[in-house]
Parts: sequence; structure tokens; C-alpha cells
Amino acid sequence: MIKTGLSRRRFLQATTASVALLGLSSLQVKASEEEKSAPVGEYYTQNLCEMCFWKCGLVAKTVNGKVHKLEGQKHCPSNFGKLCAKGNSGVFQLYDTDRVKFPMIRTGERGSGEFRKATWEEAVAYIAEKSISIRDKFGPESFSLFAHGSGEHSFMNLMEVIGSPNIVIPAFSQCTGSRDVAWVATYGKPVGGKEPVDSDNTKCMMLIGRNAAEALHVGEVQEFVSGLSKGAELIYADVRFSKTAAKANQFMMIRPGSDTALVLGMINYVIQNNLYDASFVDSYTTGFDKLAKHSSQYSLEWVELETGISESAVVKACESLAKAAPHCYIHPGRRLSRYGNDVQLVRAIAILNALFGNWDMPGGFYTPVGANIKKPHMVEIEHHASHERADGAGIKYPMAPKNLGLANKMIEAIANQDPYPVKGMFIYGTNLFHHKADSSIVKKAITASELVVTCDIYMTDTAYYSDVILPESTYLERYDPAIVTSRKSGYVQFREPAIDPVHDTKGGWEIAELISKAMGYENEFKTIKEFNSLLFEAAGTNEEYMKTNGCYVKEAGEPFPRATGKKPRFYTPSGKVELVSSKIADLGYDELPTYTGVPRPADDEFRFLFGRTSYHTHARSQNNSWLLALHKHEVPIWINAERAEKLGIKDGDIVKVTNGKNMSGELVAKVDNLIHPEAIFTPQGFGHESTGLPRMRGKGARTSDFCSNDTDPISGGVGLHNGFVQIVKV
Amino acid sequence: MNKKYAMAYVVDRCIDCKACMVACKAEWEVPEDHFRTHIDQGMKEDFHGKTRMDFLPSQCNHCDDAPCVTVCPTKASHKRDDGIVYVNRNRCVGCKYCIPSCPYEARFFNHDLGVAEKCTFCLPRLAEGLEPACATTCPGNVRVFGDINDPTSEISMVLREAKNNRLKIYKLREDLGTKPNIYYIQN
Ligand code: SF4
Ligand code: SF4
Ligand code: SF4
Repeated sequence: MIKTGLSRRRFLQATTASVALLGLSSLQVKASEEEKSAPVGEYYTQNLCEMCFWKCGLVAKTVNGKVHKLEGQKHCPSNFGKLCAKGNSGVFQLYDTDRVKFPMIRTGERGSGEFRKATWEEAVAYIAEKSISIRDKFGPESFSLFAHGSGEHSFMNLMEVIGSPNIVIPAFSQCTGSRDVAWVATYGKPVGGKEPVDSDNTKCMMLIGRNAAEALHVGEVQEFVSGLSKGAELIYADVRFSKTAAKANQFMMIRPGSDTALVLGMINYVIQNNLYDASFVDSYTTGFDKLAKHSSQYSLEWVELETGISESAVVKACESLAKAAPHCYIHPGRRLSRYGNDVQLVRAIAILNALFGNWDMPGGFYTPVGANIKKPHMVEIEHHASHERADGAGIKYPMAPKNLGLANKMIEAIANQDPYPVKGMFIYGTNLFHHKADSSIVKKAITASELVVTCDIYMTDTAYYSDVILPESTYLERYDPAIVTSRKSGYVQFREPAIDPVHDTKGGWEIAELISKAMGYENEFKTIKEFNSLLFEAAGTNEEYMKTNGCYVKEAGEPFPRATGKKPRFYTPSGKVELVSSKIADLGYDELPTYTGVPRPADDEFRFLFGRTSYHTHARSQNNSWLLALHKHEVPIWINAERAEKLGIKDGDIVKVTNGKNMSGELVAKVDNLIHPEAIFTPQGFGHESTGLPRMRGKGARTSDFCSNDTDPISGGVGLHNGFVQIVKV
Repeated sequence: MNKKYAMAYVVDRCIDCKACMVACKAEWEVPEDHFRTHIDQGMKEDFHGKTRMDFLPSQCNHCDDAPCVTVCPTKASHKRDDGIVYVNRNRCVGCKYCIPSCPYEARFFNHDLGVAEKCTFCLPRLAEGLEPACATTCPGNVRVFGDINDPTSEISMVLREAKNNRLKIYKLREDLGTKPNIYYIQN
């Protein structure tokens, strides 16, 4: 528990002052001071981290042509000077000898790993020729794109130029989609990628399966630790005693899949005992009476039966939150692709928050401050895709945004070539084999495609099965269009290369433009410099400022408008917080969240759960020796002690998991009572198949081979946590 | 008065993210499988039978009475006036005596260079006016570095406030008489 009461902020201010006197306040100061005396070839460049997707502002120090060290930009509101382990290891990635160093064209069967070295001209000509033939035969809609990362708009624009609607950002269906749909239904807007929970000022926060300490987005975790050190109470429900649990005042070990039961029981208790904010409910919500009636069925005895959490623990949590209200929040979660009923879980969480009246309030939810900048476009595109999407986003699943799509459904549409042929597959920075449940469907989709092109920095499992691999320059070797970010202030972030590309690689924008031109399109791409200067001008800054500071913070707006007497606005059909959701009712689903249990594992099975550790991102970072050294190159699997004993498994034993169809690589048993007996847990992103990732190839479990492939009926997002496995000792 | 560099960890702020370990590795090109600072995980049950998990950072304690300095035959390992225990790489002959002598397991052998290695409190960074790399990057703001002989330094203020708030302040294995200079502040 963090209850030191040390107001680190005060001390920080004190330090900044004393430090400034000594002239050490920031790298920039240092850089300019050193310009006169610095050894030749030492310089600093501005960037934003690409090791995960939080995009921390950073300064890269280059010495004699080699990037030596990355440090956080002191004033960037994403991270205020800090970087995590992943961020610090960006230097290793840059010089990793296993990067893809030149374009490659497949020579053997798909998946054989046989490629030949190609020039950029050859690779681009190959792609253009195939793409033209696919387009002429099947139409412009016969292309798909799966993209993730700050360069994703390059290939997205290429798809728009071609005229395909099938652009997919897997972050929706595989991660935040179900959550954001629930938030839209209740509050009229999505939560957003930088969750606007005010941990810094909160008095009490409740996280349900949100392992904030290990998900490790620097800005998020900074506020989390800061809030705790000021005395905030932390209530944490999870199936595993994670590093977040280490900081909790109240930890509740919850039966996997029963989160909605817990929240519904809390809603009932809060209403029955008048712990809610009646004035907020009266002024800003609709459907309270219906909610009260509906939730009255969820007694605390029932909650205990479903979740395994005692009545007294639930009462304590409700009372702590109510006492702190409105300076409290229940976290909406982030990756809500758990059980295929995730929209209703987050609906329940949204409702419980509304009962505490914490909207637009310090310590609750804030309203991100937009930078109000009219953004230019890299490419002017006049036409629109003439076809509907192949994945059903916006159609079969009306609440799934058409600009994000449903990765799970798109891969299935390609595998089955239904509703129409989709033959050209482009992949930018994503890894279908690791994010799509059931890799056999991915293989089928690849087989059904006439062209598969991957743009990445590593030979990922998906690149391994591709026809052409286009090696991208890393974020430390390329420009990218500046981005605008919203937290408690709105700000602009700038990326410039620290060094020229180490290998024969190019940035995504350059590649997309080359393909577009080679296919004969006349659309002009702006240079990144042109784009940036337009953006900077619109934002009220300029290149010189950005080169010196990396991050331009526009005047801070008002993150807590209600606290200063402003009325909040909700863009729902009723204009209010919809406790009873008209949107979801219109779709024919429960207008109030209900509880449907999840399938249970058999006696000899475990529920296969996975997630992040503090020092890896998705399936992207597992070849990074600096990070692997942190866990001795071992992939852990958490197993409950009693169940392990029955299987004769001891702490440190080497085991594998199997579901009959697939068998994992080696995992190291971590045996204790820190995980629910029904489940095992292993970090995501291991078990690679590609020979291009030699350091951890075959070690650990490729989670997509063992998870479930369920669908949340409301969002279309995937449910990954209903997969069951057995454990075998090696 | 001479400077006396020290570090304090506000232990309860640590989330075991290991950013410090990697920042240090990057800054000092620490060989691949070694680190100059570590985070240990401690598990225990409190008196209510509740599980407690603590994260304890560690690094060289820059001891005032340092066994590594005592055993070093070449005086490569020495205690500087500013409190830093430093290994002069030009003098180090790689005899490795110091490595087992350290009760804190702070040292390791750098096979690439053939010398004993450990935390330097980022001496070259201090000369440039920067904080140590680990403290600079720490997302939890756990690590407070500075001159404990200067009452206005951040570390002095933090230690004072911790004392006023009756927080637990301790050092590792003080019973050994090494007089370590890493302070642990905990609730
Ligand atoms: S901690 Fe170990 S290496 Fe550091 S000064 Fe003390 S004895 Fe020497
Ligand atoms: S003070 Fe410097 S050398 Fe010592 S552990 Fe921290 S970063 Fe490494
Ligand atoms: S960087 Fe800070 S919070 Fe992270 S492990 Fe190190 S001391 Fe702990």
C-alpha cells in the first residue's frame, strides 16, 4: 500500500527550481549549453515512442552517429519526462540484428520462410502488378488492410485511394471496441485511447480486471501512483494477484467471467441503500426507476454465489466509493475482448459510475481537452468506396464504427470469401496470427488471398506467411506526420529521425506513395514537412519550436467543466446519460445490463487467460534482449497451488498447455495462491513460429492458439477468454 | 562541506516496472544479461492473513565502510570524496575478489571488458548536471537522488518529511557495519 503521505509533487517543484539554478532542468537546456563544447557528433532529436501505443514524448541522444539513449520529454503530458522499460529498450530494437533489412519476395510455399532479397523497385512493381490485376478482376473493394501504429494512416490512405472500404484497425474488435460501444450507448461518446480517469485527484478508484500497473502506459501509471501516494483508496477485482493488486487496499479474487454479476450487485446495493448521487441522477440521467426495479434481483447472496466475493467485501467497496463520491471512479477497463458479453459488463460499469455522479469531476472522469486544431490531410481523396464493408461493421453490427471495422469478422470474411471476394491483403504493423483467435482461420484467409503484403520492422509470424515483406524504418529513423493528443490539455507531438535508416528501409508514407504511384493513381501525397508546417500553423506553433521541444502544449482547457458549474452535454438520443439504453434496445438487445454466465472449464481443464506484463507489448517486443533479460528469457504461467499439486507440478517446473488441437512451447510454472483455481495466466506475445524471431521462437504460448473465438453480439468484438486448456509437465 | 551522494527509495511507489534497470543498461551499455540495479519481489502475509506484495529496488549502496574497497588489491575500487564508490577500470585487474565480498550482490563481472562492474551513481551524468538515469526514467517517482549533506536537496527534504510522518526509514543489513547509503522509506 502506498500511504507514505509524501507529497512528491511539492518536492518535485522544489527540485525543478533548484535544478534549474544549476542549469539542469532539461535535456534541451543541456543540449544548447553543450553545443559549444560537446564532442563532435553529439545531438538530440525529438520523437514519440512507438514501443507501445501510448506515444510518450521522448528525446533521442545520438553520439557519433549512434543512438545512445532515449529520455522522456519533461513537459509532454503523455509521460512528463518518463519512459518505461519498453521505451528505454527502443535503442536495442533499432540495432537488433534480426530486423528485416531489405524488401523480400517469397520464393517458396507460403509459410516456408523462403524469400529472396529484392530492391524497392522490384517489390513495389510486384505489388502494383498483382494489385492492378486483382482490382481489375474483383473490383477495388477486394483489398483489405489491417493496420496499427502511428504510421497506420499511410496504408489507410492507400486503401482509400484504391477505393476499398475494408480498412481494419484491430484495436477495435480485439481490444477497446466493446468498451467504447457501451460508453457510447450510455454517455454518447467512446472512452478513448487515453482513458480520462482522474487518478491523480481521486479519493477512491475501483479497477475490475484493469491491471494498470502492468499494462504500463506511462501517463496512466504516473497518475495512478500519484493518486495512491496522496491517499486514494484502491479496490481491485481480478482473477490474479497482479502487481496492481500489490497496491490495493481491497483486493477481490473474482471467479473468471463473473465481473458483471459483481457490478450489478453493487448497483443494487448502492440504490437500495441510497448511496447514489440523487441530484446527478435526477438532472442528467434517464431510466433510473427501471434500473432500480431491474437491479433489485441482484442480491449480495447471489453475487457471492456467482463471484466468490463475500457480501461484506462488496458492501465495503460500495461504501468506500460512495464516501469518496463524486471523487471516485470505477475504471471502464481497456481490453474488453474477454467473454463475449463485454458490452453489458461495461454498460454496468458505466451505470455504476453515473450513480456516483463523477462525470466531469476531479477524481472521477474528466473531459479531454481538445486542441481544436483543423488537421490537414496527407492525401486529398475525392471519391469514396462504393461498396459496403465485408466484415459487417456498421451494418450487421451497427455500433461497430465503419472507420475501424471488425478484424475478427474481416479475417473470417476473407477466409470464406464471403460476402464478396477480398483478394489483396495488406498488413501494417499488426500480426494477425497473434491477435486473431484461431490461427487456422488466418491461414485459410491467407490461402484465399492472391496477394499478401506485410509492412513491419520484424519478420513477424504474419510477415513469414506473406508474399512481400516491406521493411519499415523504425520510429527513430523516420519522419511521421505530427499528431494531436488530448488529455487534460491538448498537445501536438513531433517525430523526426534520430539517424538515417540503418538498413535499406523506408517509412510507411514513402512506401504507400510508391505503391499508389506504381498503380497509376494520380493522387498527390504531401511531404511530411508540408503536412507538419500546415498543422503547426493551425496549432499556433512552428517547426523550430517543435524541433527544440518536441511537444507543443496548447493552453490547458477545462477538464472538469461541471466542477465550475457548467452543464455537461451527452450526445445520446435522449441527451442524457442513458441508464436504460435506447440504442441497445433498438438493436433488440437488453436495454439494461443482465448477467449471463460463461461456460465453465471441466474438472481437468483450466480457463486460458493472458494479458500484459510490465515489459512487453502485444507480440511486438519478444525479440528484444534488453527486455528478455528482465525475465531471464522465461515465459511464466501462473497456476493455482492446489491444482498444481494435484497435477504434480511444482514451482519452476517446465510445462506446456494443450487444447487438443494445439500444443504450446515451454512455459515455466509459477505456482502459488495468487490465481483463481479455475484459470491459468500467461503473458501474451510469445510462441512465435517465424524463424526471423530466433530469440524466443517456439517458447511460451501463442495465445491465439488457445483462446476462444466468441463474439459480443452488440459490438461484434471478440471474446477471447472462454478457451480451455490442460497442462502437461515436460 | 563535501558532498555526500545518496539515494532514497519511496518504496511504496514502486510498481516493479523495471524501467530503471533498462535505462541504466542503455546509458552504461551494461552487458546483455546483467543489470546494475534490480527490483526484488517480496511476498508475505500480513497479520490479517492478507497477501502483501512488495517491490524492493536495490543497487550499489556506496557504503562508507565498503568491503569491496577493503578487499581490492589494486585500489581500483575506491571511495570518493563525494561518497561514490567507484571502480577505476584502468586499475582493475579482474581478480573478482570484490564480487563475493559485497553483501548486497551489487557487483558482477563484465566479461567484455574484463573488469568488475557496478552502479556508479551515474557519475558522468552528474558531471553533466543530470540526475541518474534510473531516477530520471522512473515512472513511479520512487528514486530520490542527491546530496544528503545539503539540507535543501530533495533527498534531504524527503527524508525529513518521512521522519516527521513517522514512516519507516531503513537501510539494508546495517548490522554488517558497511554503512550503506541507500535509504528505504516505507509505510
Ligand atoms: S554495495 Fe557492494 S559494491 Fe557497493 S560499495 Fe557496498 S560493498 Fe561495495
Ligand atoms: S545510479 Fe546510474 S549506474 Fe546506478 S543504478 Fe542508477 S542508472 Fe545505474
Ligand atoms: S523504474 Fe521506478 S517504479 Fe519502475 S521498477 Fe524501477 S524503481 Fe520501481
